[in-house]
Amino acid sequence: MTTDLLAARPELADHRATMLDGIWRDSGVPPRLLELARLRVAALLHDEAGVAARTPAAVAAGLDADLVDALAAWPTDPRFTPTDRAALALAEQFVMDCHGITDAQVAELHDALGDQATVGFLIALALFDGFSRAATVLRGF
Amino acid sequence: MSTTPRLPSAVEGRDPDLRSVMAHQPGIQRDFSVLYGTFWSHGVLDHPTKEVARLRNARITDCGY
Repeated sequence: MTTDLLAARPELADHRATMLDGIWRDSGVPPRLLELARLRVAALLHDEAGVAARTPAAVAAGLDADLVDALAAWPTDPRFTPTDRAALALAEQFVMDCHGITDAQVAELHDALGDQATVGFLIALALFDGFSRAATVLRGF
Repeated sequence: MSTTPRLPSAVEGRDPDLRSVMAHQPGIQRDFSVLYGTFWSHGVLDHPTKEVARLRNARITDCGY
């Protein structure tokens, strides 16, 4: 877990937790959508602990376990909304090659979320991606 | 990669850049600054080594910022 990874640096762990709390609480992005993106990023990076974890805010918001199980099928599974697809497409491209993200992809998400939440979503992706990578590199912590 | 800003600045009179766009989320921007500042001001790794890592990451990701 990322929390364990930062156990040797409690001051960083505290600041990271504060920042993540702010994202889940104040970013304007629905917790369900954030959690789907976090889980997809973790899966692509083979961050097993990240895949196994569930964020309480998303669970409290009614995150559907069956939907999580179907996450890899988001492009075709009808349970995923157009906003889900826009967010998950961006999340996948963010992980694989951020230069491949197109104007149209950003515009589609921006149309759905607006300025504030789109910025919040991108910052969240940066955290999810960075800490999943660190956890993967340091697996065993 | 587009060279046209994709999101507007949240700071009146200022062009869109990372900071002015992040200002759409002032609370999160503040929390990020604290976290990032702690990376730089704490720990046993010296600043030149941290800077080399930062620059290398920026070059690999082609981040002009």
